[in-house]
Amino acid sequence: MRHGEPGMTESDLIAFADGRLGDAEHKAVADYLTAHPDEAQKVELWRQQNAALQALYGAVPKEPLPTRLDVHAIDRRLREERTAWRNFAAAAVVILAVGMTGGWFGRGLLISGPAASDPLVAEATQAHRLYASEVIHPVEVRAGEAPQLKTWLSKRLDRPLAIPDLTAEGFSLVGGRLLPSADGPAAQLMYQDESGQRVTLYIVPSRDEQETAIRWTSMKAGAGGLQALFWNDETIRCALIGDLPKDRMQVLANASYKQLS
Amino acid sequence: MPDFLDEIAGCVPGLRRYAHALTHDRDVADDLVQDCLERAIRKKGLWRPQGPLRPWLTRVLLNIYRNNLRDRRRRPVAVPIEDVAGELSVPAAQGGRLALAEMARAIDQLSPEQREALLLVVVEGMSYSEAADVLGIPLGTLMSRLGRARAALSRLTEGDEPKLRVIK
Repeated sequence: MRHGEPGMTESDLIAFADGRLGDAEHKAVADYLTAHPDEAQKVELWRQQNAALQALYGAVPKEPLPTRLDVHAIDRRLREERTAWRNFAAAAVVILAVGMTGGWFGRGLLISGPAASDPLVAEATQAHRLYASEVIHPVEVRAGEAPQLKTWLSKRLDRPLAIPDLTAEGFSLVGGRLLPSADGPAAQLMYQDESGQRVTLYIVPSRDEQETAIRWTSMKAGAGGLQALFWNDETIRCALIGDLPKDRMQVLANASYKQLS
Repeated sequence: MPDFLDEIAGCVPGLRRYAHALTHDRDVADDLVQDCLERAIRKKGLWRPQGPLRPWLTRVLLNIYRNNLRDRRRRPVAVPIEDVAGELSVPAAQGGRLALAEMARAIDQLSPEQREALLLVVVEGMSYSEAADVLGIPLGTLMSRLGRARAALSRLTEGDEPKLRVIK
C-alpha cells in the first residue's frame, strides 16, 4: 500500500473488499474511500458481488456424502484393482522391483524391461543426442529467462507446465527448447551438473492418459549407454534421458515427477 | 495410510463446494470430485505430497475440470435460477444485494481463468497466496486477474439496468 499518496492500488481496494487487510491498512483504505465516493461505490459493488457469490455457492451440501465420494471406499476399490493387475502382470512380464531408500517408489513400482520401443523414448533419445553435446546453442531459451520459458512452453503445449528445479539434486537448468514430435509440439528441458554432465527431460502433451509408474529402459552399448526413465502423468508424457548411473537418474526422475504433477 | 485418507476426506466438502461453483451442477460437480479423489488416492502409492493437501487436491480438481472443458469445448451449463435459488443458504444481506440470478449468469460469462481465481478467493476463502499457489501463478498475476474479474462482473451486472440495480 502506498501510504500518503493520493491513489490506492487496485489490489488494496480488492483486499479491502475481501476483508483481507490488517487493521491499520483497513483504516487507511476506509479513510481513502470516504474521501473518494466514486471509488467507494465501486468497492461497495465488489462487496455485494462477494455476498452474492457466497449466497449462491457458499453452502456445503447437507445431505450425507454419496458413497462414490467416500475416500475409504475408493481406496479399497483401487487397491483391489491394483492387486488384480499385479497378479496379471506378475504372470505376464518380469517385474524387477527396485528398492529405494525411503523413496516414493520404493514399493516395486519402478518397472524395468525391454520397453525401448516406446516411441516417446526413441524421440527423447534422439533429441538428447542431438542437443546434449551442443556447445554453442544447446537450448533455445536460456535458464536466465525461466519465467518466459515456462509461459512459452505452457502455451505451445497447451497446458500448464512447471519447469522442475533440480538444484537440490545437483543439477541446474541450462534452458529449454521446442521440438516437433509425433504428438505435436514437445518440450525439451536441459540440465547439467557441476561436471557438465547433461540430462534432458522430454515432455509431450497427452490426453486422458492412464498414469503410470516410472519405467526404466537402458540402451544397448552402441547407443552410447544412455538411460531413459519415462512415465505418463495426467496431461503429459515425460522421458528423462542421460547417461548417469541408474540411481542418480531415479532421483532426478523422482524430483521431476513431483514438480510436474 | 489412514491419516492421508482421512485428510483427503476432510477436504471433500470444500472440493464439492468449489466444483459446484465452477460447474453450477451438483451431479457434474460430484463427478469431478470423484475423479479428483481417485487420482489423488491412486497417486498416494507413488508420492505423498508435502504440506497441506487442500491446495494440491484443488489443483488436481482444476486440472481435470480444465481438461474436461478442453475436451468438450463447451462452457459450463447455465442452470435456471429456480434451481439455484432453491439451494440458497445464506440469508440476503440487509443492506442490499445483487440479484442472484444475474450473478449466476454473469459468473458464467467470465473467462475460465477469472472464474477459477475469483471463486477460490471469495467462495473458498483462500488467501491470495494460497490461491496463487493453487493456480500456479505469481501473486501479482492473481491480483490483476481478480481485478479484471471484478470489472467484468460489474460490467455484466450493470448492463441491464432495471433488473440489475442493487435491490434495497
